[in-house]
Amino acid sequence: MTLSQHAQTNREVWAKNAAEFREPGKRNWAQPEITWGIWHLPESEIGALPVLAGKDVVELGCGTAYISSWLARRGANVVGVDLSPEQLATARELQAEHGIEFPLIEASAEDVPLPAASFDLVISEYGASIWADPYLWIPEAARLLRPGGELVFLTNGLILELAWSVESERVGETLVYDYFGYHRLEDPKDGSIVFQLPYGEWIRLFRANGLEVEDLIELQPPEGADPGRWDFVSNEWARKWPVEEIWKARKRA
Amino acid sequence: MSSSDLTGQARTNREFWNRQADEYQATHGEHIGRPEPQWGLWQIPESELRILGDVAGKDVLELGCGAAQWSILLAQQGARMVGLDNSERQLEHARPAMAAAGVEFPLVHSSAESVPLPDASFDIVFADHGANRFADPLLWVCEVSRLLRAGGFAAFSGGTPFEWIGWNPETDTWDDRLHRPYFGMHRWETPEGSVEFELPYGAWIRLFRRNGLEIEELREIQAPEDAVTTYRTEEENAWAQRWPMEQIWKVRKL
Repeated sequence: MTLSQHAQTNREVWAKNAAEFREPGKRNWAQPEITWGIWHLPESEIGALPVLAGKDVVELGCGTAYISSWLARRGANVVGVDLSPEQLATARELQAEHGIEFPLIEASAEDVPLPAASFDLVISEYGASIWADPYLWIPEAARLLRPGGELVFLTNGLILELAWSVESERVGETLVYDYFGYHRLEDPKDGSIVFQLPYGEWIRLFRANGLEVEDLIELQPPEGADPGRWDFVSNEWARKWPVEEIWKARKRA
Repeated sequence: MSSSDLTGQARTNREFWNRQADEYQATHGEHIGRPEPQWGLWQIPESELRILGDVAGKDVLELGCGAAQWSILLAQQGARMVGLDNSERQLEHARPAMAAAGVEFPLVHSSAESVPLPDASFDIVFADHGANRFADPLLWVCEVSRLLRAGGFAAFSGGTPFEWIGWNPETDTWDDRLHRPYFGMHRWETPEGSVEFELPYGAWIRLFRRNGLEIEELREIQAPEDAVTTYRTEEENAWAQRWPMEQIWKVRKL
């Protein structure tokens, strides 16, 4: 596996972080409902996913693979891909615990060792969608999809990233970064790198890879919703500006 | 269309533009009346942006044509133009300009929210800070879809969600603070007395798709370093070099 520089860095960061994601992974695996993001907004209300039964699905950046587990339970044939062997170890443990088995592959979403046109759905939630370079992983997602297949991913809200304070590790109400040319943000503490693009740039990238834009769902939590362990944003902020957004695109038939 | 058939915003904006038209054309007429088609606040040439492409022989409708600066140039390039504006005073500026340019095409006095023209009669519907800004998208996008032939496209330049959230009501200009919420953006009663509209990115995308329009492009315009404009101050141009103050959507009828 040859990794890009940032993929190597992110892999090392996840080796350290994985232990901390074990408990949340466990809780998410035990959750019956499909939900999105830090407020666990129910898919039954968001409606981002197609019918899952019988579909071939790959999750890019699956981490502890809770999303994959939810989709597997609904009859999808799931493959989980993650860069971090430590995260995949947790995923395997939880597979055994729940008696749900599906293939887990250690790889970067920027270079996936799976055949072209073999999936109906490519999904990512806080996975490749933030940790991999869109200019590398979107072409991979498009390659993996069958004609008519869908790409659905959740990423950080762009406004959140532009107003992010690396010092306080919280979002503020000042635009710190320029929109034009925005691409990546490095955490000065652990060196990890996350990616996000201007809206128009996402659209160009999708279309250049044969993907039609289907939807962009900006998530707004209900009033008073508790983001649990995540304290980088207040409910008040999140009611005004999107903390998370879900893109949907479809491979041209 | 009699004014009693208009929505509240169409009536308000008709009165606003009838009041403003003379001053607007005196202030901006020269800036936007160049010898080639140019887009938006900073008058970036179409030959550079290539949004409309070749218009010769195409049926083209401009929504909110004002004094028809754009429509006249496209007619000279061989487009079969129709210019629409909600303000009769703006159209009174268009007629002598057309005569001076030696071109003739229909001008329609109407809001873009309900257009008195037949279905599937245009290859291109476009606006440059026109009706798209001053009419409710929930109404005009539906009309655009109806007016377009299958395979035709719409393109329109206007404001942006960043322009909406970054505008400081106390200073009536933009700075680096988040002033207004993103969620719920739709209708804005401006201090100048007009009603303007903007939507979140996702709401635009859903609205287009609901109306059978496929998204081809969102071109976000960065203010050029040597920006010249009669619409914005130097400080505002500097803001618009960092965050988008203008964008052009291009969508195609399926």
